[in-house]
Amino acid sequence: MEAATGATQSGLEREAKQRGKQINVGRNERTASMIGGAALAVTGLTKLAGKKILPGMALMAAGGMFLYRGKTGHCDVFEAMGVDTAGTEDKGLTVEKVLTINRTPQEVYEFWHNFENIPRFMRHLEAVRTTGGRTSHWKARGPAGVSVEWDAEILEDYPGQRISWQSLGNADIPNEGTVEFMEAPGGRGTEVKVHLTYRPPGGTAGKLAAKVAHGINAQVIEEDMKRLKQIMETGETATAAYTGSRTYH
Amino acid sequence: MKAVCWHGKHHVQVDTVPDPQILNPRDAIVKVTLSGICGSDLHLYNGKVPTMKEGDILGHEFMGVVVETGSAITSLSRGDRVIVPFPIACGDCWYCQEGLWALCDNSNPNSWMLEKLYGDTGAGIYGYSHLYGGYAGGQAEFVRVPFADTGLEKVPPELSDEKVLFLTDILPTGYQAAENCHIQKGDTVAVWGCGPVGLLAMKCAWQLGAGKVFAIDRFPERLEMARMHCKAEPLNYEEVDITEALHDMTGGRGPDSCIDAVGMEAQGTGLEAAYDTVKQTLRLENDRPIALRQLIKACRKGGTVSIPGVYSGFVDKMPMGAVFAKGLTIRAGQTHVQKYLRPLMRLIETGAIDSSFLITHRLSLNDAPMGYELFDRKQDGCVKIVLRPQGVSQTVH
Repeated sequence: MEAATGATQSGLEREAKQRGKQINVGRNERTASMIGGAALAVTGLTKLAGKKILPGMALMAAGGMFLYRGKTGHCDVFEAMGVDTAGTEDKGLTVEKVLTINRTPQEVYEFWHNFENIPRFMRHLEAVRTTGGRTSHWKARGPAGVSVEWDAEILEDYPGQRISWQSLGNADIPNEGTVEFMEAPGGRGTEVKVHLTYRPPGGTAGKLAAKVAHGINAQVIEEDMKRLKQIMETGETATAAYTGSRTYH
Repeated sequence: MKAVCWHGKHHVQVDTVPDPQILNPRDAIVKVTLSGICGSDLHLYNGKVPTMKEGDILGHEFMGVVVETGSAITSLSRGDRVIVPFPIACGDCWYCQEGLWALCDNSNPNSWMLEKLYGDTGAGIYGYSHLYGGYAGGQAEFVRVPFADTGLEKVPPELSDEKVLFLTDILPTGYQAAENCHIQKGDTVAVWGCGPVGLLAMKCAWQLGAGKVFAIDRFPERLEMARMHCKAEPLNYEEVDITEALHDMTGGRGPDSCIDAVGMEAQGTGLEAAYDTVKQTLRLENDRPIALRQLIKACRKGGTVSIPGVYSGFVDKMPMGAVFAKGLTIRAGQTHVQKYLRPLMRLIETGAIDSSFLITHRLSLNDAPMGYELFDRKQDGCVKIVLRPQGVSQTVH
């Protein structure tokens, strides 16, 4: 991970880096952290001066933590939550996800093997059309109605165990994927492991493709896999959407 | 329709919002006839639970009549009177099939948030923040109920709404809390918190074979309810040192099991309480575990600490040394309501358990904001408020 560009590297920041603590707080947040932290620390001091020992100490501690976070670009709380707000330019994406589905490996394999099912759980895909025994045509959507398309072919196909595929020719977003289905212990169904690689978009279509690629990240893929599980186990995808319509009175 | 909506800390109001609609084949729409305000709703009211958004509809303790069903629903039809369990659960995942309904893998569309915080997700819950799925709640005229073909319980016509409403949450919660204690015949059980869950846990402890039950609180009227309705020995923590008192009253052993029916907003006395309040206010600590620390200290060696009270995040100064040294068992978690509906419905039918004594206030939906204020401040002897979305307030205790 790169240091936030343009930020002056302070002694504390260097020290934090040396200790292996990575910068995971974005630049704006670091500034806000430092201002907020300083304010808290000062309030704490004021309280201490007013003999409010306990609240004063607590405020000082809080202020100190935010100051540290702003100065070093590292936040332990963020680290604990696995949140990275430093931001990355699109350098492509490799993501691997594992989850357990309460269905047999054969059932999950069959659902996936019909590639036309994939857009039901992968939200960045608009449609996948089977075009031959091993070939298919994929259409991905991005913001504001932007979309890119490519052809793909199956490389490996072991029924009930494993499927891998890759995009063909000069796809706008060159990509490849593998999905494995393993029987989970204790009658818990199937452990599904998916491995996807999206290479950086290039060429003349690069800008358009980059917009689409920007919407694909590890979080999105994780939620896609959850939807696969929901469809396989419950027959529908969970939603709390609130779209009122008719009245029941 | 009208619904009780969250608008920020200490600010709920009745808004007119669109009626819900069927979104999935396994959905149903329920017209709410009775809806409780839960003690855990006060955590939302007090702004202690993150990811609430302005306009979110509150309420997870509700029952009503089915008015519409999705295309996949065959077990219910229009006009059925039903109990709706507060955890939304699919019935198909491994957890549901093991009876761990509140840990359903599939019902929380925001599961990634809880995974980041806790390592894994729990079931979605009606009206209980976006961490728990962002579902619209049941303090409203109508509610969309997902997975309506599993877990909903039809109500026999001879039982009134008030007799069965608490099957949605607090009665099974009290029962699970007592069941988690693995009570042996004659055991002593101490319950911290004489709110509705605590009181029902006491009743269930007797049902499961307890020989003595202690009730701990600071409100005299609640302690009196514990004594009168739940045959418990009341202890006021503002008057006695609880650990010492329990020690002395159990021959120096301590209670065999202790139930924390208080949770993350425990009140306390002295420096310890001030410490936690400050840390919680500054968000350096999410929860104030004052009751929990007492439970751990008071519990007998090898005993069980059962936690139905809600905790949301990190606590400070957890006496892990005592947990270890005394070999305590800790059991916690949301209630697997669906698992308990049938057996508890039977206990209600035979009259073995009646939880309707808890109701102190019956209000219309419009009076809900006043209800929240009363309940939060424990004014007017308020123990349990039920809302009648189709009716009017009644000032009878």
